[in-house]
Amino acid sequence: MKKIMLFIIAALALGLASCTTQKSLYSWANYPTSSYNYLKNSDEKSTQELIETYQKIIEKQEGTRGVVPPGIYADYGFLLLTANKTEEGKALLDKEIALYPESKVFIDRILKMMEE
Amino acid sequence: MKKIIICTIIAAAFLSACGTTNTVTDIKSVAYKGMYDEKPLAILLMPPINRSTNVEAKEYFHSTLNVPLANAGYYVIPTFLSMEILKKESAYDAELFLDSPLNRFGEVFGADLALFTIIHKWDKSHIAGSVDVSVEYILKSTRTNEVLYTRIGDITYNTSVSSGTGGLIGVLADMAATAINTAATRYIDVARACNTYTFQDLPAGKYSPSYGADANEFAGEKVFKATLSNK
Repeated sequence: MKKIMLFIIAALALGLASCTTQKSLYSWANYPTSSYNYLKNSDEKSTQELIETYQKIIEKQEGTRGVVPPGIYADYGFLLLTANKTEEGKALLDKEIALYPESKVFIDRILKMMEE
Repeated sequence: MKKIIICTIIAAAFLSACGTTNTVTDIKSVAYKGMYDEKPLAILLMPPINRSTNVEAKEYFHSTLNVPLANAGYYVIPTFLSMEILKKESAYDAELFLDSPLNRFGEVFGADLALFTIIHKWDKSHIAGSVDVSVEYILKSTRTNEVLYTRIGDITYNTSVSSGTGGLIGVLADMAATAINTAATRYIDVARACNTYTFQDLPAGKYSPSYGADANEFAGEKVFKATLSNK
């Protein structure tokens, strides 16, 4: 009797444990909505909103890896480049390469494309 | 004895609450063998192919694909940067590349995988407060052009907002919540839920602590149906 009860309790605990949401590798602030609005409108308001989201992701990163997620430095840097903030933009692209060396291939390409 | 029965019922209820009904599927290292053989790291998001009647569905998906893939441990080539390069290289229509060699994408972007997303259906039902989506995800190797991972889901997403508080106060709260929950935000949530649900069984990428350790877990069904809702 006791054994059965114990078994049930154990099974219950296991079931509950598997429910708990695991913490993600990265935190994304309001990224899905901001990126959608920018993708859709690309106006001043949505651009500003996206920049604020990028800053929040970078400054208040709460993911388990404790680093900025892939693509954030690069897309933010690219946005600054297109706004003629060349130095700031390039510094962010360099940060992406330092954090994710696999990004060098296309970042070099975009820099070359922007010079043309 | 009665106690045991009650406990068992409660236990079963708890277990089923978060369980995905599993029909027998292969383990990941069998179902997604190529993923374990090739060990891809960088994923290029191809602009979603929209075959549904809703023109906006493309953007809902395009802006929500990178998060679940990055959270699974992959490097996702930045959405806006890659869009710019694809446009300049006249490669923005993913439909053209669905059945053609992808090696060039590997060279230009350093991408190991290209993700194709095909939205087959996106039907809103205002009366039921739901969206019926049919979406197909295809991850292809840029080296071998093989499909390494593919799933297609018929997903019903319940968009109605409920505060869970009954009575008049509950109704008022629900109305306010629905008003705040604007259409766009709601539909971004739909796409996000589809992506997150589908990629649950994606083998973990290099940046995940589970990298290489999930080969014996079960893969999801290749063709699946699901009902999701906002919580």
